[in-house]
Amino acid sequence: MKLLGKITTTLMAGATALSMAGGMAHAGEFDGYTLRVKLIGGAQYEPLYTRIPEWEEMTGAKVEILSRKNHFELDREIKQDIASGSINWCVGSNHTSFAPQYGSLYVDLNVIMDDEAINAISENVINASTVDGRLVQLARHSDVSNLYYIKSLYEDEKNKADFKAEYGYDLMPPETWAQVKDQAIFFADPPNFYGTQYVGKDEGISGRFYEMLIAEGGTFFDADGKAAFNSPEGVRALQWFVDLYEAKAVPAGVPNYLWDDTGLGFASGNVALNLDWGGWASYFNSDDSKIQGDVGLIRAPKGSSGKRTGWSGSHSFSITEACDNKQAAASFVSFLTNFDSQMIEARTGLLPTRPDAIEAIIEESKQAGDDWLVHVFETFGASMAEDAFAVPSTHLWIPISNELFPELQAAIVGEKNAQQALDDAAAAANQLIEDEG
Amino acid sequence: MSSQTKTTLNWIGTFIVMLIITMPGIWVILSGFRPLQEILAKPAIWIPQRLTLDNFRAIFGIGETQIAIPVVAYFRNSIIIATTSTLVAIVVGISGGYAFARYRFRFKNTLFLGLMLSRTVPGIALSLPLFILWARLGWIDTQFGLILVYVALNVPFTIWLIDGFFRQIPKELAEAAEVDGCTRWQAFWRIEFPLAKSGIASAGIFAFLTSWNEYALASNLTRSTNSKTLPVGLTDFIAQFTTDWAGMCAMAFIIIVPALVLTFIVQKHLIAGLTFGGVKG
Amino acid sequence: MSVLTNIKRKMFSEQATPYVLLLPAIIMILIVVLFPLLFSLYTSFTPYKLTRPDTLWKFVGLRNYERIFTDWDFWVAFGRTVLFLAIVINLEFLFGLGIALLINRITWGQRTLRTIMMFPMMFSPILVGFQFKFIFNDNIGLMNNALQSLGITDQAIPWLVDGTLAMGAIAFAEIWMSTSIFAILLLAGLFAMPKDPLEAAQVDGCNAWQTFRHITLPYLMPFAYIAMTIRSLDVARAYDVVDTMTGGGPAGRTELLWTLIARTGYDSASMGKANAMAYVSILLSIAFTYFFYTKLVAARRYMGGAQ
Repeated sequence: MKLLGKITTTLMAGATALSMAGGMAHAGEFDGYTLRVKLIGGAQYEPLYTRIPEWEEMTGAKVEILSRKNHFELDREIKQDIASGSINWCVGSNHTSFAPQYGSLYVDLNVIMDDEAINAISENVINASTVDGRLVQLARHSDVSNLYYIKSLYEDEKNKADFKAEYGYDLMPPETWAQVKDQAIFFADPPNFYGTQYVGKDEGISGRFYEMLIAEGGTFFDADGKAAFNSPEGVRALQWFVDLYEAKAVPAGVPNYLWDDTGLGFASGNVALNLDWGGWASYFNSDDSKIQGDVGLIRAPKGSSGKRTGWSGSHSFSITEACDNKQAAASFVSFLTNFDSQMIEARTGLLPTRPDAIEAIIEESKQAGDDWLVHVFETFGASMAEDAFAVPSTHLWIPISNELFPELQAAIVGEKNAQQALDDAAAAANQLIEDEG
Repeated sequence: MSSQTKTTLNWIGTFIVMLIITMPGIWVILSGFRPLQEILAKPAIWIPQRLTLDNFRAIFGIGETQIAIPVVAYFRNSIIIATTSTLVAIVVGISGGYAFARYRFRFKNTLFLGLMLSRTVPGIALSLPLFILWARLGWIDTQFGLILVYVALNVPFTIWLIDGFFRQIPKELAEAAEVDGCTRWQAFWRIEFPLAKSGIASAGIFAFLTSWNEYALASNLTRSTNSKTLPVGLTDFIAQFTTDWAGMCAMAFIIIVPALVLTFIVQKHLIAGLTFGGVKG
Repeated sequence: MSVLTNIKRKMFSEQATPYVLLLPAIIMILIVVLFPLLFSLYTSFTPYKLTRPDTLWKFVGLRNYERIFTDWDFWVAFGRTVLFLAIVINLEFLFGLGIALLINRITWGQRTLRTIMMFPMMFSPILVGFQFKFIFNDNIGLMNNALQSLGITDQAIPWLVDGTLAMGAIAFAEIWMSTSIFAILLLAGLFAMPKDPLEAAQVDGCNAWQTFRHITLPYLMPFAYIAMTIRSLDVARAYDVVDTMTGGGPAGRTELLWTLIARTGYDSASMGKANAMAYVSILLSIAFTYFFYTKLVAARRYMGGAQ
């Protein structure tokens, strides 16, 4: 978070800068122009793209979608484009975790976009979207995780009595991660039922470790920009994952789990507690889910420092420096992030980045009598506003994550102790940092 | 042990082996015809209770589905790329194989070994430099770009098989034809080529299967429906959060059927082609 | 005079013909393999990062090589790759031999059996990867479901997490995918086998094992070496399988050279270092192929077939 501190000032400067192009589209403004774009594909992301013909009609431009891939493949493709110097497209899907890698590929949107379009988005998100003082992306929706749980487990009188007898405090949806650990071990009955679970590979486990580190009061980098996650706070954070694995309170397969495994696992009804993204909320309470009607949701618990976990990321759009018609691109991006667009995404359960859209979707759900969605958006809205923090804003985040996650796994499966694993990861990370300097 | 029991034991052994060979593939293909809930059910449902074409409908975007995969375009690309590259590889292979079988020239052995070793370069090591070169030449995301790569990938092995095959055919046959007034080309085309057909067919099937199934390079050199092939399209089923196993299994079926049909047609030649082509050369 | 030029011309063209015939093949290989490899050789002496094209012009000498040669993880992956290849190729040979012998004895329905035998060859490596990831999934996989239904275990065995089990699962997938090649080539060898020595052996009173050991097997070995050479040509196909099944994880327990290269090069964008690793892996592949190729040439000579 420290890293992001300096950004706010730059942002202020940017906000007063003159903007060139209007975010509002005018009829026939870009007649005959073809805008080439690369978008993230997948069921959650595609409904928004049904609005593209509307923009085409309004502006007279044509949109050519060059690729539509999942984010990891898109990332690889964009890196190859940079490497080969073939940037022949204007707008690309982006993500706050990936953005710092792309260097000067994308323009500073403060320069070319309307203040209005930028200011409508919550300040937290704008901060996270800024790299080295440049606003390189405009976010369409955000992700942050909160804790889902099976309600009936907490209403069961026998559970309440047994838990109190064993742990000495009342069984309630957990307020701290230490309580999550107690309760997960208490509920677990492997291999039929597990206390909780976590994503155990790739950037997923790095991110989960990172937010736990922050909640324990640690920092990822020290003041000199060196890796500092092998601190006592870091060891405590990692030990939480290790203890749950050793106690068999999580499935033995978690080191291979990715996001679909935790989501589908929880929906299958044999996991008590599940820290997961907002996008799953509707699914957990749908006909496809075995726990329909029995799902509870609370804000992500606190670490020992009193801070809540809140690793967040935002899906966004960026405009390339090489773009031949930045006005058209800017118009396209502000169209896809405006109020109406965000409402389309919100109705599928994604969390808007505009505070006014969050209010509106809560209002709309209330009108429709959907108490669950109201609760979901209130919970996620609150954690987005108060708890959310992005990964360190450095292009080394992904490379460091690639060094870090195998070490985290080694600790989890008991090949190394937590301190040893983190020391090894920190050494590898520092080598990466030195190579840059 | 009587020969009767031996035969029976042999059959039982064969049956078990065939089961192991086919089970994993058949299970996956079968899953393509089952609803996702049934695949994911706990405890497992062994005997399919409901067979459905829903997964295929979903892929082809028929009816109410969230997302269609442009599988027709992938299929077309795969067919065009695999067949063209196989045909070209065979022509280049015949030409090269004939040179090795019928002529003596300097650096012959070095050249042969060099060709073979070029095939050992792992796709993953080749993918980036190839990408950068292809980008400069404007061949990214074109069928042509991929065809060229696959020809180069298949040529060494094709030359090897066909070379061995031509050596099997006595030189005297062609020479006799030349004495009878044929040109060298005519002698080749009328005498040697027909005799080498099995070898060429088996080289062809290997080349086709390699091109049809290749993923590591195709995933880097293709971008869109212009050139994406079926194996690359398989990854469309992995979204950020979910893997659509049912859809993937259905797609697997689509990928396998053409390869299966072709192999069945050509397999008679395959045994003959491999027998003579490889060893006795 | 004219006769002389005629002869000269003919000689010249006769000499040029093989090169002309080989030209298309050579040009293809130059463009697709050799030029790109020269480029990646160059980048292995730079700190080239995909996302920073300017780093391509910075020369760091042997730093990338020094790094990987002193990197313990790299050598573990290297050793694991060699061991993995040695084990799977030998097992594929043994199973392939068994299958070929079984099918060779069958007279009825053999054509269908041969096609079934080649079934796995039709599967794309990436498809094989997904297939076995699905089958070995600890929650919904065929394997655990079967074991649980049969009452062998009530645990969800984490096939792709435990180090030994995961390598075993990957080896199983790899063997499943590639045994066919051995089976079909060895079957071709059995078909081509002359009957006389077999009959002579029977007359001499050799038992089945002796006949197999001293007559059939030596005859088959060249076919086995062909199969091994073919296999070693594209062993790196295993990358698709491993990458899909485990991605080299967890905790690097199934890391092979190729997964390490891919992650270093693309995900971490350090192409210079990845290309240095790639060169080591290319040398490894070449060594494997060369080893089998020399065996093959020797076996051919033994057969009396080679020129």
